[in-house]
Amino acid sequence: MNDSKKTILVVDDSELNRALLVDMLESDFKIIEAQNGLGAMAALVEHEMEISLMLLDIVMPEMDGFEVLAMMNKQGYIKTIPVIMISAESGGSVIDRAYDLGAIDYINRPFDERTVKHRVMSNFVLTLKQKELSEMLSEQIYEKEKNNSLMIEILSHIVEFRNGESGLHVLHVHTITDFVLKAIVKKTNKYGLTPKDIRLIDNASALHDIGKISVPSEVLNKPGRFTPEEFEIMKRHTVEGANMLDNLPFHKDEALVKYAYQICRWHHERYDGRGYPDGLKGDEIPIAAQAVSLADVYDALTSERIYKPALSHERAIEMILNNECGVFNPLLLECLKDIAPTLKKELEVISFGCASEDSIDESVRQIMRTDGNEISSRTLNLIERERLKFKYLADISGEITFEYIAAPEMLKLSDWGADVLGVPSNILDPLNNKKWCGIFRRDDFDDFIKRIHATTPEHPVATAKYKLVISGEERWNKVIAKVMFGGDTEAPEFEGAICKITDINDEVITLANLEEKAERDQLTGLFNREAARVRISKLLTESNGKKYALAFLDFDDFKQANDRHGHQFGDETLIEFARRIRANIRANDIAARVGGDEFIIFMEYKDNVEAQVARIHKRMTGDFKGFYIGISMGVVCADENCIDFDELYHKADVAAYSVKRATKNAYKIYNDSLSELLGDDGE
Amino acid sequence: MTVKECYDAMGGNYDEVLSRLRDDTRIAKFLGKILADPSYELLVTSIANNNAEDAFRAAHTIKGICLNLAVTKLYGSSNALTEALRGKSEITDEAHKLLEAVTNDYNATIDSIKSLQA
Repeated sequence: MNDSKKTILVVDDSELNRALLVDMLESDFKIIEAQNGLGAMAALVEHEMEISLMLLDIVMPEMDGFEVLAMMNKQGYIKTIPVIMISAESGGSVIDRAYDLGAIDYINRPFDERTVKHRVMSNFVLTLKQKELSEMLSEQIYEKEKNNSLMIEILSHIVEFRNGESGLHVLHVHTITDFVLKAIVKKTNKYGLTPKDIRLIDNASALHDIGKISVPSEVLNKPGRFTPEEFEIMKRHTVEGANMLDNLPFHKDEALVKYAYQICRWHHERYDGRGYPDGLKGDEIPIAAQAVSLADVYDALTSERIYKPALSHERAIEMILNNECGVFNPLLLECLKDIAPTLKKELEVISFGCASEDSIDESVRQIMRTDGNEISSRTLNLIERERLKFKYLADISGEITFEYIAAPEMLKLSDWGADVLGVPSNILDPLNNKKWCGIFRRDDFDDFIKRIHATTPEHPVATAKYKLVISGEERWNKVIAKVMFGGDTEAPEFEGAICKITDINDEVITLANLEEKAERDQLTGLFNREAARVRISKLLTESNGKKYALAFLDFDDFKQANDRHGHQFGDETLIEFARRIRANIRANDIAARVGGDEFIIFMEYKDNVEAQVARIHKRMTGDFKGFYIGISMGVVCADENCIDFDELYHKADVAAYSVKRATKNAYKIYNDSLSELLGDDGE
Repeated sequence: MTVKECYDAMGGNYDEVLSRLRDDTRIAKFLGKILADPSYELLVTSIANNNAEDAFRAAHTIKGICLNLAVTKLYGSSNALTEALRGKSEITDEAHKLLEAVTNDYNATIDSIKSLQA
């Protein structure tokens, strides 16, 4: 038992009775109380997985103890939660009824502390063990389903690779067998086939040729006719396969293995007794082997082999019905006729990917349908409920969720997400999947994978923003991943991640707009000084052999424009000037308004900076609505001695100032002779 | 007043309750719960309202409590009433008569427990 206390649900309408029981039990157990049947049901729903034992009174208002038991039967709780009845009712019929309804023990009032403790303890230990066992078992059943499919897939593929048969053979045989068996059940129940049997036989059918592993490949893959000796060797694959299953160290007694044995050994028997290896006749041949045998022959006929071309569906059916390829049970031939139209259609659409997925799905559904497997279906129900809940929440949230599985590398998307993205729900090897990379750029996804690999069990969440192409539109999305680790705490193993994609395009755009606004001069739309400084400094530091110059432009007599024509006109002039700047610089150049009538241009130049400056100056200046725009322009070239924005800015300013003091409306390239002006106030 | 004296006063079986609950303090604590239990009031109202079903449950609860605490006398009368009410759709004369006995025993029991607590 765990050191943590187990939980007991005490249901009694008398507060005193509950208090007595609590008093007796609380040192050893955690107690949940309910004061009538309804409360008990509510507690069961809420605490089902915690409750290890239930003490249940019979006479209660709302819903009495028998009704609770009946409900527990109906909803399946009775199978996982042991119930001890408590009551002063001691009539034999009452006790019988409680036992009939699934109670496991009965405690009479008045309570005797030792009796209560003893009964609870012993039942508890007993059922706890059962419960733990059944939990283990249900996990195993679930695991087993997976393992079986996996084992079957692996084994059958090995055989096929060696056989040189198409990998589809096993899938086809699986499907045909399924059809045949279901058709048999429709006609007769003399074979007593349950849905579970059919599922097991379908799965076991994949193993029909495992014995071929023991056949030398020269024989196995011989294109021509077998010699009698070779045929004898070939025939041995039936017995060899059966022996392999017989020699399994585990799972030997499982129904699946038993069916597989029958199929391996007897799928070459003939209904007339002339088959091999044992010459069984009629229904001596187990129905599983008969069905697989028929499926095997049909698929062999309709598939291409080294020694023969593929026959048409119609021809194959005809040959089988005419006993040209063995002799079959007439009942099975009837079934074959029944399923012939479906067979043709279904086998055309069968392909690898979906088949195993389908069969797993089907297995899960079948387990849930099958009686006698309550524990397992209960677990599966719970899992299914959680899955539906998660799916629903994922879908209504408008977020795309997916699971990233590390090995084999694949993505599993929510159905809704897959729909929105227009991709399949399962994507193998996403980095090389064109559809996926059309949405999530390969480099970005690679970056994302690196990020999730960089997480730790302590910090398992990674977040990043990427531009994803969804429905043909490129939008910003945030991807959040919670990484799952397996292994133990000492050596955690990266297993994959649960991820969520959220569209944040609108936020990003808004933010970008705000940022942009903050960086721009409102009147002219040019950068402000700070934004220009950041950008220019960046270019200066990363300058890879490029030559840059900074120009400082100062309006001449701007005051007159304002004074003579009003502020409105002054603004218009500035806007016009900004337009001229934009029209005369290149996309990578940076222009900013740094003061009322002062601007800077940061530009790349090739060889002759003076020619470029002269050209710009010429185009900037000139008449605007009767006002002559004249510019005093100072220019400084950045070189390895001077890559500091503030220094360049100051020098360009000084050069412009020298122009202003001299002629106005001209430009000057800064040189050291102007350095005496540095240190002046600059204006 | 000791717990034993209380049991003697209200007609209970002290030896029995001690053997089962094994502790005077615990017994006294649970005797206190009888005072807080609303079943007797429910019983009286239900019988007055001719509600046999509720009356049965109330009598049954009292009987159960008394059984647990070995309050033998009240157990006896409440048990008789419970049986008289079992499966009935209305209150019979017999039930009315048996209620008188329950009331007498109940009051005696309550008085004893109150003295114990005093």
